[in-house]
Amino acid sequence: MIARGSAEGPPGRQRRTLVLLAWLLIVLAGALQIARTQFSADLSAFLPKSPDARQQVLIEQLQSGVASRTLMLGIEGGASAEQRAAVSRAVARAMRESRLFDLVQNGDTGDWSEAGTWVFEHRYQLSPGMRPAHFSVEGLRDAIYETLSMLGTPAGNAIKPLLDRDPTGETQRIAVDLVPASAPRSENGVWASRSAPRALLIATTHAAGSDLDAQAVAIARVQAAFDAATRDIAEARPKLLLSGPPVFSVLSRDKIKTEATHLAIVGGIVMGVLLLLAFASPRALVIAFLPVATGVVVGTAAVSLVFGSVHGMTLGFGSTLIGETVDYAIYFLIQARGAAVAGTGWARWREVHWPTVRLGLLTSVCGFAALVFSGFPGLAQLGVFSIAGLVAAALATRYVLPMLAPDGASGMGMRKYMARAAGMLVRGLPRLRWALAALGVAALAMVVWQGGHLWRADLGAMSPVPKSAQQLDEMLRADIGTGDGGTLVVVYGADEETALRNTEAATARLEALVDKGELGGYEAVTRVLPSVATQQARLASIPDASTLRTRLAEATAGSPLPAARLGPFLADVEAARQRAPVRRADLEGSPLGAVVNTLMYQRPGGEWATLVVLHPGPGFDAARLEAALAGAPEVQVVDVGRELAGLYQRYLHEAFVQVLLGALAVVVLLGAYLRSGARLFAVCQPLVFAVVLTLGGMAVLQVPLGILHLVGLLLIVAVGSNYALFFDQLRVAGRADEDTLASLMLANLTTVVSFGLIAISDIPALSSIGRVVAPGALLALLLSAAFARRLPAATARG
Amino acid sequence: MTSGSKTSFARRCRGLWLALAFCCAAPAWAFDLPELMGLLSRQKSGEARFTEQRFVHGLEGPLDARGTLSFEAPDKLVRRTLSPRVETMAVDGNTLTLSRGGRSRVLTLDSMPELLGLVEAMRGTLNGDGATLQRYFRSTVGGSAASWTLDLAPIDSRLAAQMRSIRISGRASEVLGLEMEFVGGDRSVMSISPERAGAAPAGRSTP
Repeated sequence: MIARGSAEGPPGRQRRTLVLLAWLLIVLAGALQIARTQFSADLSAFLPKSPDARQQVLIEQLQSGVASRTLMLGIEGGASAEQRAAVSRAVARAMRESRLFDLVQNGDTGDWSEAGTWVFEHRYQLSPGMRPAHFSVEGLRDAIYETLSMLGTPAGNAIKPLLDRDPTGETQRIAVDLVPASAPRSENGVWASRSAPRALLIATTHAAGSDLDAQAVAIARVQAAFDAATRDIAEARPKLLLSGPPVFSVLSRDKIKTEATHLAIVGGIVMGVLLLLAFASPRALVIAFLPVATGVVVGTAAVSLVFGSVHGMTLGFGSTLIGETVDYAIYFLIQARGAAVAGTGWARWREVHWPTVRLGLLTSVCGFAALVFSGFPGLAQLGVFSIAGLVAAALATRYVLPMLAPDGASGMGMRKYMARAAGMLVRGLPRLRWALAALGVAALAMVVWQGGHLWRADLGAMSPVPKSAQQLDEMLRADIGTGDGGTLVVVYGADEETALRNTEAATARLEALVDKGELGGYEAVTRVLPSVATQQARLASIPDASTLRTRLAEATAGSPLPAARLGPFLADVEAARQRAPVRRADLEGSPLGAVVNTLMYQRPGGEWATLVVLHPGPGFDAARLEAALAGAPEVQVVDVGRELAGLYQRYLHEAFVQVLLGALAVVVLLGAYLRSGARLFAVCQPLVFAVVLTLGGMAVLQVPLGILHLVGLLLIVAVGSNYALFFDQLRVAGRADEDTLASLMLANLTTVVSFGLIAISDIPALSSIGRVVAPGALLALLLSAAFARRLPAATARG
Repeated sequence: MTSGSKTSFARRCRGLWLALAFCCAAPAWAFDLPELMGLLSRQKSGEARFTEQRFVHGLEGPLDARGTLSFEAPDKLVRRTLSPRVETMAVDGNTLTLSRGGRSRVLTLDSMPELLGLVEAMRGTLNGDGATLQRYFRSTVGGSAASWTLDLAPIDSRLAAQMRSIRISGRASEVLGLEMEFVGGDRSVMSISPERAGAAPAGRSTP
C-alpha cells in the first residue's frame, strides 16, 4: 500500500500529515468510546458465560441474589451493652429512614408491630395449621388446649390479649415459624454476639448487588449513621465493623482502581527513566510512549465495544501491555539508526526488522487469542484488550513513528554500557548452555514429580479481598447465624403463582426433615406469601358460621375458656372467609414486602424464583436434603462450595486447553515463517526451557498455581518468542551489532520491570501473572542467548 | 423420785432438744446461696414427675398439667408434658426444641431472653450454678438445708416485664417445687416428686 524501497528519502510532508491525522482520529475515537464506557469490578466477570443450571443459579445469586445485597454490621466495644444497643437502634433507624435498604434487622422487634398487625389480620390465610380437620370439634379442642398451654408462661402475656379473637392460636403458629432456627443472641433488646462485646445488624440493600455506585452510597450511609449515633460519645466509643459482598465489591473496585493508577504511574516513571538512560533524549522518550498510549486506548475501546463494559482487572492489565508495546518503539528507535542517507532509516528498518517484529506480534496475538475463546468473560476481555492493544501499538510503530523519527533516536545515553554488557552476555552465556540445560531437566523432573499438586490454587486465590476482611466476614456471619451460605435452594416457576406453589411443594418436604430433626429450619417466602391456591384452600376449610358455632360449643364444653367468650373469634373467622387472597403487590412497601423482595425475584427471562434459606442445625446432611428434594418441581439445590470448586476446575481445564492451543498456534506460526525444522527447534528450545524453569522455580517455592499462572506461562511463550526470533534473525542476517543487542536487552528490561511491578501488586490476579512472566521473560532472553549457536563473528566485535 | 427422775429426764430431754435445735438452727442461720448451691451441685442428673397448676385471670378454674422432668448436668433439661396434651420442651445448651403434635421446632434459646431467664433459673438451680443465677436474678435463700426456698427476682428488663418472681423450694439436693408469679397476677405452681431410684445412686448419700 505504501511505497517501499531503500532508495526512498524521508517521508513527504503530505503523507506525514495524512498518517498523523489518521492516527490522531483513531486515538480520539478510542478516547471518546472510553469516555462512554462503564467500568465494572465484580468478580463474577471471572465466572463462565455458559454454565449449567446449578452454576447459573450460583452466578445469578452472586450477581444479583440477596447474598450480593447483604450487609453485616458489628458495633464493637464501647462502654457497655446498653450503649451498644442504643447505637444499634439509632443506626437501624437511620438506615430504615434512608430508604436505601429493603430490610434492616437488629433484633429490635419494636418496628414489627405493623407487620404483626397485618399477620394477625390475615392469620387464616397464613397459618400452616389451617386444614379442614382444624375446625372440627376435635381439631378445635386440640388447638384451644395448645393455646391455653402457653398461658401461665412468659409467652402468656403476649397471647392473652388475643385469646378471644384467636383461641386456636394461629398467630402464634405463624410467629413460631417466622423465628429463624439460628437467630442471634438478644441482649438489651437487640442482637448481640455470643463471643464478643458486639451488637449486630443485618441489612439488604435495595439496589442490585452489581450496582456498585449504589452499593457505595449505601455503605457511606451506614457509616454516616454510625458516626451520627456515636458523635456524642466522648470516650470509649464503639467501633463499626462492616462486611458483606457489597463491601467486598466496592472495596475491590476501589482497590483495583488505585492499583491500576499506581501501576500506570510507577510503570510510566520507571519506564521513562530507563528510556531516558538509554536514549538521553526526552523526544525519544515521548515517541517511545506513543505506541503504548495508542495500544492502551485502542485496547480499552475495543473491549468496551465488544463487551459493553470494561472490567477493572482488564484495565489493570494495561501496565502489562506497556511492557510489550514499548518494545516495538525501542526496536524501531534503535534499529532505524545509522542510515546511509539521512531520513531513510525507517525504510531500511521496515525491510530488515519489521518482519521479525510482525512475527513477534502475530505470535503474541496467537497467545492472547486463546483467551478470547475461553468462554470466561474476564479472560476474554483480557484477550481482546491485549490483541487490539498490541496490533494498534505495532501499527503505530510501523506507520506513525517513521513520520516522527525517520532515523530512529539519535542519542546514545547509557546504551554504550548496555551494549557492552549485552555483548558480554551473548558471548558468555553459551558456555553455560549445558549447565542451563541440566537445570532445565531438573526443573522438568520437579514439575513432573509434583504433577497436579502444583495446580492447587482456587477461585478464592483470585479474590482481591484481603484475608483480614474475609475473616471479619466469617466472624460476623457466625455471630448472626445468617442461615447457611453453604447450600442454596432455589425454586422456579413460570409466573409468581407457579413459583409459590412449587415453593410450597418443596417446603413440605423440608418440613418433614425439620420434624425428623435433620434440618434446623428454613425461611421461605411462602410463610408470609402463600400461593393463592393455598390461601383459598385454607379459607375453604372454615365451616359456615352456624356449624362452627355448634362445634365450638362442643369443643369448649368443660374447658376453662367458655364458648360464650369467643364471639369475636366467630366474627373474625366469618370476616376471613370474605377476604381476597394476598398477592405480592399487596405487600409492597411494608416490612413484609421487604421480606418477600429478599426471598423472591424475577429472573432475567421473566421467570420467577424464590430462595429458600436453610438453617442446617446439628443433624444436617446435604445428601439427605438433596434426596428429599429430588423430584420436587423446579427445584435447584446448589452446594456452593462444591459448585465453586467445580466451576474453578472447569475454568482451569478450559484454560489448559486454550493455553495449549495458543502455544500450538505460536509454534505453527513460527514454523510457517521460518520454514526450517532446525530453526524452529532453535527458536522453541529457549522458550520451552524458560517455561519449565519458571514452573520449576514455582514448584521449589511451593507457590500454589492457578489459572492466571497458566495464562502467564502462555505470555512467556508469546513475549519470549520475540527474543528467540531476534537471535534467529541475528544469526541469519549476520548483523548483530551491539546496539541491536542493546535494544533487545532494553526491551527485555522494560518487559521484566513492568511485569515485575504487577508481581508485587496487592491484587492476586495481577500479581500471579506478574510473578510468572517477569522471571519467565528474563529467562527467555538469557536462554535465547545461551542456546543461540553459530552467531556470526561480527557479533563478537567490541 | 419417779417424778424427780421424770423431771430430770424431761429436763435432759429438753436439753437434748435444745441442743438439737441449736445444732440445727446454727446451720439454718448460716444457710446461704453458696451452701445451697453446694448441696445442689452434687446431683448430676435426675428424673422427676411434676404436676402443675396455673391460675390465669379470666379463665374459669386453673389449668392443670402433669408430666416428667429430666435433667442432666451441665445444661440438658427436658420437660415432657403428658396431660392434657403430649408435648416436649427440650433444652440442650443453647438449643431449644419444641415438639408437639408431630411437629418439632428448633430455636436458639438466647435469642429469647424471656425464656432464657426461666430456663437458666431452672438449670442454674439444678446445677448448683450460683454465678449463672446471679447473672439473671437477684436471689434470696430461706429455710435450712432440710427445707429451703430460693426466691429469684429477674434482672433483665425483658424478663422482668413478664415475670415478677420465681420461688424454687426443696430439701437437701432435691428440688421439690417451682412457683412462678407473672406480671398481671397470673401464677403457676408446680410440685415435683423426684424418682428416688434414679435420684439416689448408692454410695452418695452417706459420707
